[in-house]
Amino acid sequence: MTIIPGQLVDEVELPVERGKIREFARATGIQDPVHTDEGAALAAGFFGLPATATYSVAAGHYRDQAAFVEQLGMSISRIVVGSVSWRYLSVPVAGDVLTATRVVDSDEQRVGRSGPMRIVTLSTTFVDQHGNTALVQREVLIERGAS
Amino acid sequence: MRAAPLLRAGDTPESRRIGPVTATDIVRFAGAGGDFNPLHHDPAAAQAAGFPGVIAMGQYTAGLLAALLSDWVGIENLREFEVRFMSPVFAGDVIEVTAEVTAVERDFAQLSLAARAGDRVVVTATAEVASR
Repeated sequence: MTIIPGQLVDEVELPVERGKIREFARATGIQDPVHTDEGAALAAGFFGLPATATYSVAAGHYRDQAAFVEQLGMSISRIVVGSVSWRYLSVPVAGDVLTATRVVDSDEQRVGRSGPMRIVTLSTTFVDQHGNTALVQREVLIERGAS
Repeated sequence: MRAAPLLRAGDTPESRRIGPVTATDIVRFAGAGGDFNPLHHDPAAAQAAGFPGVIAMGQYTAGLLAALLSDWVGIENLREFEVRFMSPVFAGDVIEVTAEVTAVERDFAQLSLAARAGDRVVVTATAEVASR
């Protein structure tokens, strides 16, 4: 099974929430108070608490993990995530609502040292409620061949 | 907005040591990010998969690197951040996260980052940030 580039994987709404921002800040040891202190955020020029750099990961709460793996024809027990990247265009703040549209960028078969593998690259574009793209996240999934 | 940082090749922030990483730390990140793969919270599932115990999700360690980076340069100055997952992080590991400016262009800088558990490189990363 090979997926055609551009194919939609899923689309979810990701609200940017102050409590969720605080959870990310605490779980990753962020010290900059702009993410948790409204006064510090406003003094730094933000219109609200800015989302943390990897806040977009929280889209996982809104997605159906099993369904997307099945849709791609992959086996979850053989998948590892090789790399993830983020391209930042603007900083979402608490109160924004992002629409996260995930598509297949590429789908390739390669032969590595440990045998054949399938490499699927997905990209998710996060667009805010004003229609501005806030960020693009890419993830590279590596599936080992069935043994 | 806060001014972009003034960065020069070779600049580094103070490195951070996190841990020993506890199961609680991993579960706290699972709650934040929504990754409920049992490898990250269920010791029996982790052992069945061949690990000695629960492993942290790659995004946990990526978040530690992102925290070092955004605390140093300011969240609004990030342009790009890319992480590569090299090796698992186990409960009990002490993670050291480091960053260094590798090149400076006209109005942005390239950085190289790494997270290590002892001698083991667990995550490597690159970033592009605005610079004066």
